[in-house]
Amino acid sequence: MKAFRKYWTILRISLQNAFVYRSNVLGGLVFFLIFMFVFFNLWRAIYQSGEVAGYSLVQMVWYLCMTELIMFGCRTGIFSQMNEDVKSGSIAYQLNRPYHYVWYQFFNALGGMVFNLLIYGLMAVIMAMIMVGPIPGFNFATLPLSLISMMLAMFINFFFLMALGLTAFRLEENTAFYLIYQKLVFMLGMFIPVEFLPGWLQAITRYLPFPYMTWAPARLIVAFSWELFWSVVPVQLLWFGLSVILSMAIYRHGVAGIQAHGG
Amino acid sequence: MKNVKAIFRLIGLYFRLNLSSAMEYRGSFLLQAFGMALSNGSFVFFWWIAFQQIKGTIGGYDFRDVMFIWAAASSAYGASHILFANMNAITRLIATGELDTFLVQPKDTLINLLCARTSLSAWGDLAYGFILMALTHGRDAAAWGMFLLAIVIGGLLMTAISVSAHTFTFYFGDASLVGNMAMEFTINFCIYPEGIYRGFVRVVMLSLIPTSFIVHIPLKLARNFSPLWLVILLAVSALYCCLAYCFFYRGLKRYESGNLIITRM
Repeated sequence: MKAFRKYWTILRISLQNAFVYRSNVLGGLVFFLIFMFVFFNLWRAIYQSGEVAGYSLVQMVWYLCMTELIMFGCRTGIFSQMNEDVKSGSIAYQLNRPYHYVWYQFFNALGGMVFNLLIYGLMAVIMAMIMVGPIPGFNFATLPLSLISMMLAMFINFFFLMALGLTAFRLEENTAFYLIYQKLVFMLGMFIPVEFLPGWLQAITRYLPFPYMTWAPARLIVAFSWELFWSVVPVQLLWFGLSVILSMAIYRHGVAGIQAHGG
Repeated sequence: MKNVKAIFRLIGLYFRLNLSSAMEYRGSFLLQAFGMALSNGSFVFFWWIAFQQIKGTIGGYDFRDVMFIWAAASSAYGASHILFANMNAITRLIATGELDTFLVQPKDTLINLLCARTSLSAWGDLAYGFILMALTHGRDAAAWGMFLLAIVIGGLLMTAISVSAHTFTFYFGDASLVGNMAMEFTINFCIYPEGIYRGFVRVVMLSLIPTSFIVHIPLKLARNFSPLWLVILLAVSALYCCLAYCFFYRGLKRYESGNLIITRM
């Protein structure tokens, strides 16, 4: 309970910081608008020929708004923060503090994620309503369940990014991994729903974490079904657990090799 | 004429200096260039999926057309950022007073500051365009000719757009958001078919952010050559670059030095 209170305080402070420094989000909102405007134009042109892979244009625009929202919501800079902490050695100053470094980083970023979700979420809904109007047959009662899936998606992405950042303990240059990871997230769910992929690739993709970071929650928002919910949320929980374990393992392995020489 | 020669000599000197400095860190240089080429390459996958789904054209472009604009945009971006990487840092240089260093040197201020930095990952962008062209256009001489022209014109126009946007710092204070937005619009207008945009956006693409002249008109010329459109392309590009150059110097008159002491190593 005491441990939880400690992390709750970290979360509270990070949330307060996010609201105090709210102007930082202005640049992000502008780019969010640009991306959505470009994608709306692109998909409108693609949909000249009608429905594609079971998605209507309305569903597709909402789908993209939701996947962009998740990606912008995850803009916590955790990868560069990990890189910076490890490469500059400043991580050494945090080892003797009364918290676990990995959990501290998570709760410290969580406030920003919640804030981003609110601000970008509002923007995403306004944009989608202006561009294509409401989702036909949308049921508000299932929205909390879709939001749970969305939060899980953001947590999975966060911990995988943290694990990638922590590889700086052993690798001098890890940016290439980040670029590859980012493109896999983009192509396996963010820009293209899994249903659009060729059959053989869909089969492989379902065993990877990437679609559970964007496709799963976005699909739940645009076409909720209990069958889909029960097929994706347990898998998301599994990937969440695995991503946490991976981050912890890389962190422990890295910290074991740290040599501090005062200073 | 003498001035133009001096400008080209300065660009050449900076290029050699920046390249030799990059070569000191070969590993990082190659990794960044490779990472960028790989990153760009993933978008081929997106377009492949999109064209598989609709089996037709998107915004009037087929798969090869989209690959042409991608190749031209990527290489033009790469060339401009290899030679003029400081285009994205103009606001910072003005706001921090670092511009003073360039003002006291006996060279063209704008060219001097633009060339002072290079981007290592831009080599990946430049190489990616050539690879994509080789894979999708083979020995199509007309396409290669227009692609090479698009690299030169596109590189200069992208730099001019960025310079114009950052020059607003002289007038209204920090214009980094305007500069970043201008570059983001430039890239996004270049890498998607022109036909997906309508009305006002199309007007912007032909005037304020002239992305039609960077990739879309070169594509049209590669498919159906027209001497008139080639002349228009060259004339408009030259005019836009001249206007951006003049706009910067007009803004520079408003600059007030903060007497910052800097050492350039």
